[in-house]
Amino acid sequence: MTRRDFLIKWTVYAVALLPVWFMDQFVLPRIPLFGVSPMLLPLAAVAVAVLEGSAAGAGFGLAVGVVWNAALYGAAGVPILALALLGMGAGIAAQYVFSQTLAGCFLCSAAALVLIDGGRILWGLASGDPIGAMLRVAIPEILWSLVFVAPIYFIFRWVHSRTQASTLF
Amino acid sequence: MKDFFKHNGILILIIALLLAAITFVVSLFFGGTANPVSNLLGVITTPVRDGINAIATWAEDLYTSAFETDMIREENERLKQENARLQEEAREGQAAARENERLRNLMGLREKKRDLVFESATVTARSADNWESTLTISKGSSMGIAPGDCVVDDYGNLVGVVGEVGLNYATVVTVIDSSTNMGALLERTDDAAILEGDFALMGEGKLKLTYLPENTELMAGDQVLTSGMGGVYPSGLVVGHIEEVHTDESGMEQYAVLVPEADLAGVKQVFVITEFDIVE
Repeated sequence: MTRRDFLIKWTVYAVALLPVWFMDQFVLPRIPLFGVSPMLLPLAAVAVAVLEGSAAGAGFGLAVGVVWNAALYGAAGVPILALALLGMGAGIAAQYVFSQTLAGCFLCSAAALVLIDGGRILWGLASGDPIGAMLRVAIPEILWSLVFVAPIYFIFRWVHSRTQASTLF
Repeated sequence: MKDFFKHNGILILIIALLLAAITFVVSLFFGGTANPVSNLLGVITTPVRDGINAIATWAEDLYTSAFETDMIREENERLKQENARLQEEAREGQAAARENERLRNLMGLREKKRDLVFESATVTARSADNWESTLTISKGSSMGIAPGDCVVDDYGNLVGVVGEVGLNYATVVTVIDSSTNMGALLERTDDAAILEGDFALMGEGKLKLTYLPENTELMAGDQVLTSGMGGVYPSGLVVGHIEEVHTDESGMEQYAVLVPEADLAGVKQVFVITEFDIVE
C-alpha cells in the first residue's frame, strides 16, 4: 500500500466515523430508551480494530478517544488512553481468540462496553455511589449499545473492503 | 501480538498515554475552561448542534399545536386569572415597598439590594453520557460566561452551574448531577443545609438536602433556596421543594429528597447570572 493509499484509507475511515459520531452526540441522546442513550464511539473503535488488527485499532482508538474525550464533560484524557487500549485489545482478540467477523466484533464490543462501564462503576464505588444505581445505568446502556454493533460494523466493513481493492470507488 | 509490535503499536500507545497525560494536566490548569481540542470541536460543531436543536424544537412545536391545543387554551385561561391576582398583589407590594423604604431611611438601615446581570442562552444539546447530567448552551466565554456562573430558567429557578466554557458554548452541570454541592436555605424555617447531588437520585431527576439542623421540622413542599454563603453563588435562587424526608443508613441523620423546580428535561431557554451584587 502506497502512502497515498494509506492516507485515503484512513481519511475514508474518518469520514465513516462522522455519521456514527453525529448519531452518538446529537440524535440518540434526544431519544433515550429505558432512560439511557447508547455509546457508539467505542463501538466504532472496536469495529475498526477487529477489521484492521491491533496496531491500526490502537491508532484509530486513539483518534476516536480524542473525539470522545472532547464530548464528555470532565473526562480529563481518560477516554484517549482507554480507547487506544481497547482498540489494541480488540484487534488482538479478533485475530487470535475470536474471528474478524461480525460475531467477533460483537464479542469484542460486549467486552469493551463491560470494561468501560466496569471502570466507571469502580470509579463510582470509590466516590461512594451505590452499586445498584450504577448497574441500573450500566446494564441498559450496554444492552442498548450492543444493538448498534451490526450497523457500525457493516459501515466500517464496507470501507475496509473498498480500501483493500486497488481503487477506492 | 507480533503484528502489534511490528506496526508501531507501542509507539501508538505511548502517544495515547502522552496525549491523555497532557489533556489531564491541561484540564487541571485550565480549571473549567475547555481544553483547546474540546474548544475547537465545540466551535466547529456549533452549527450542527444549533441545527438539530432547531429541528427538534420545530417538531415539538408542531406536535404541541396539533395535539395539545385544548390543554394550552385551558392553561391560558388559568394564567389570565393568575395574572390578575398577581397584578393585585404587585400593587399591594409597591405600597409595602414604599413604606419599607421610608422605615429603613428612618432607622438608617442599609437598603436591601439584589442586582443580577443575566445573559440569555438557548439549550442546544443534552448530555450524551448517561453518567452525568449536563446541558450545552449557546453562549460561551466570548459573551462573558465563566465557570461557576449560576444558570436559571425563565422563572428564576436554578438549573445548574456552568462547569466548562468554550468560546461560543458552555457546559452546564445541572443541580441533579452527582457532583452538585452547595449551600441551601429552607425558606419556611430559615435553616441552612447542604444541597448534594446523588447518583441514585439523578436518574429520577432529584437531589438530596443534607446536614439538616437538629429539630428541624420539614414538610413536603417546603421550598429550598440557595444560601449564597461564601459569596460564590447568589442567594435566594429557588432550587426545588422537599418531596420526602429519610433517615440515612446509620440511622443518625436525616436527609430530604428534593425535586428541582426547573424542568431540567424540557428547559429550552436559560439565563446565566454573569454578575451579582446582593445585600440582604
